[in-house]
Amino acid sequence: MKTGDAGFITTTLEKAMEWSRSNSIWPLTFGLACCAIEMMAVQASRLDISRFGSEVFRNSPRQSDLMIVSGTVTKKMAPRLRRLYDEMPYPKYVIAMGVCVIQGGPYNQGYSVVLGVDRVVPVDVYVPGCPPTPEALTNGIILLQKKIRNEADR
Amino acid sequence: MISLVYEIKEETGKDGRKVYRIDREHLLELMGDLKKEGYDHLSLISSVDFRDRIEVVYHLEKSSDNFSIIVVKTETRDTHVPSVTSLWESANWDEREQYDMMGIIFDGHPDLRRILLPEGWIGYPLRKDYDMSKVQYVNMDEEGNDYVSFDPGDGW
Amino acid sequence: MESDLTHKYIELNMGPQHPSTHGVLRLKLTLDGETVKKVEPVIGYLHRNAEKICELDFYCDALIYFDRMDYVGAMNMEVGYLEAAEKLLNIEPPERVKWIRVIMAELNRIASHLVWAGAFGLDLGMLTPFFYVFEEREKVLNLFTEICGSRQETNYMSIGGVYQDFNDKIIYRIKEFLDEFPKKLEEIYNLFVKNDVFISRTKNIGILEPEVALSYGVTGPMLRASGVPYDVRKDEPYLVYDKVNFTVPISRKKDVLARFIVRFEEMRQSVKIVKQALEKLPDGPYFNPKARKSLMIRLRGEGDVFARTESTKGEFGVYIVGDGSVKPYRVHVRSPAFKNLSVLPYLSRDVLIADMVAISGSIDLVFGEVDR
Repeated sequence: MKTGDAGFITTTLEKAMEWSRSNSIWPLTFGLACCAIEMMAVQASRLDISRFGSEVFRNSPRQSDLMIVSGTVTKKMAPRLRRLYDEMPYPKYVIAMGVCVIQGGPYNQGYSVVLGVDRVVPVDVYVPGCPPTPEALTNGIILLQKKIRNEADR
Repeated sequence: MISLVYEIKEETGKDGRKVYRIDREHLLELMGDLKKEGYDHLSLISSVDFRDRIEVVYHLEKSSDNFSIIVVKTETRDTHVPSVTSLWESANWDEREQYDMMGIIFDGHPDLRRILLPEGWIGYPLRKDYDMSKVQYVNMDEEGNDYVSFDPGDGW
Repeated sequence: MESDLTHKYIELNMGPQHPSTHGVLRLKLTLDGETVKKVEPVIGYLHRNAEKICELDFYCDALIYFDRMDYVGAMNMEVGYLEAAEKLLNIEPPERVKWIRVIMAELNRIASHLVWAGAFGLDLGMLTPFFYVFEEREKVLNLFTEICGSRQETNYMSIGGVYQDFNDKIIYRIKEFLDEFPKKLEEIYNLFVKNDVFISRTKNIGILEPEVALSYGVTGPMLRASGVPYDVRKDEPYLVYDKVNFTVPISRKKDVLARFIVRFEEMRQSVKIVKQALEKLPDGPYFNPKARKSLMIRLRGEGDVFARTESTKGEFGVYIVGDGSVKPYRVHVRSPAFKNLSVLPYLSRDVLIADMVAISGSIDLVFGEVDR
């Protein structure tokens, strides 16, 4: 972006769209397990995710851009998760929150847990931890914003 | 106190609780008598797989006596046990859970279906001979019903 | 035929992804207009095979799966498991450890009930209390971070002891929190009960008679709100609950509002218990040398043990069978939320959908524990 002397800004339409899109990511209210409580803590007073434009948690997948998969995905839940993902409009993003979602976590030797949500839906940002602290999730959202603006470290 | 038309073995468990052992044919009679005696709170139905037999354990509590616990144990070799749903409502979900996890068939249960795992799951996970190396996948059809298979379908 | 058309019921599916089902509960509703005719809860969307995995690990390792059962009240789950495991393994924790466990369990009870109140408010369309309760919960979690190094799933206790001892600074911090908290609690309480909409949506809704509650195996604040004074801390005292002075709040109103009031009174009692425990905290070791780290994986147990404790949801029972090896042979959990949920079809016959949401919210469901 360049600031002109006459008080206006020139930029490409693409950049402007990326910028606006990255600053208003609306997540889907999708709490599965333990990490959902930390996701609620991110919404609440101390950590206040609205500083990053993501405070509007939508209850319908058709109105949301981001799915924060917070908590263990079981085999019974996986087809439902896939259907919710399919119902979200493009462009859509997925954050895998917690180690259960990344690779099964403490339950990965069991029989009923999906060993990583990336077997069901594509994942953009992985946030490790069991459960991740709210700060870690906030960092994940900032990383996603960078990714949308094509600024992410590769 | 309890009419002795059936034989019970009385013992004390490791945790100091009174344990009644009874064969499954007389389980319902004993349970009915205990209910009449004031054991109105069925705390838990659990089961243990000892490979050659399955032991079913009931923990009953008496609300009028500080919820003191009595343990009733019975065992089965062909996975059939009479249901106690006629005495306590809470036995309904408990027995469904034990059917789901351990494969015990409770005769006389009104609605014996799987409760935690999807319908059609192959095998009973908490049995000692359950093969965890065989991975099962769950998919959903158009009506929202699950079906289970050993190979991944479209959703995976 | 015509009467069939006029009285046609609608079948509606609620969940597993729904904002007011507290996780992954799915309800199959049969509706007559706005009135619920039949509810069938479908659970198991968070079945994480914890009981099976416990059999594959050592006795001390099973603790982390218990942490993740009732994930908002993790300390209570740890106490519940250790009550059973220590009896089975014949390890007696030192006196100081018992008091420390009481303090941590009660602090976590406060945190858990606060989260419940916030989520219950959201169910009934109140957003404001949500921010207040999470502010207070963060204070409790800050204490936990300082003591255990982790916020929510703490893994603080171990067989025969705790991970880290209390020092003077932590005791001072807890006292500081306890001095401020009751005032804040009243503030939150007033946010709810001085709201006419809240009262009219909870009063005389979801009446649960004590006989029905006992038959369905309901325990915890739900049973106490129906007038049965059953609290394991009083009826079969574990740890050192027989040495502290507290009362068990009950209500005879039996409705949703009664459950709310009972939970808030429990928080006040928890404050009282922690204050007394801090006064009486004795000196001594903080673990049993028979269960120190190098020996922990060699502990063997034989026989079967059932231990019950009062978790935040109700009577939490753990049934462990040992076969003389270093791993448990069978672990079974009596999960209070599972039993409390089974009464929902009974409670929500012929009520409005909005009332059914209030009733299911008042049960305090945590799905890690219902499905395990």
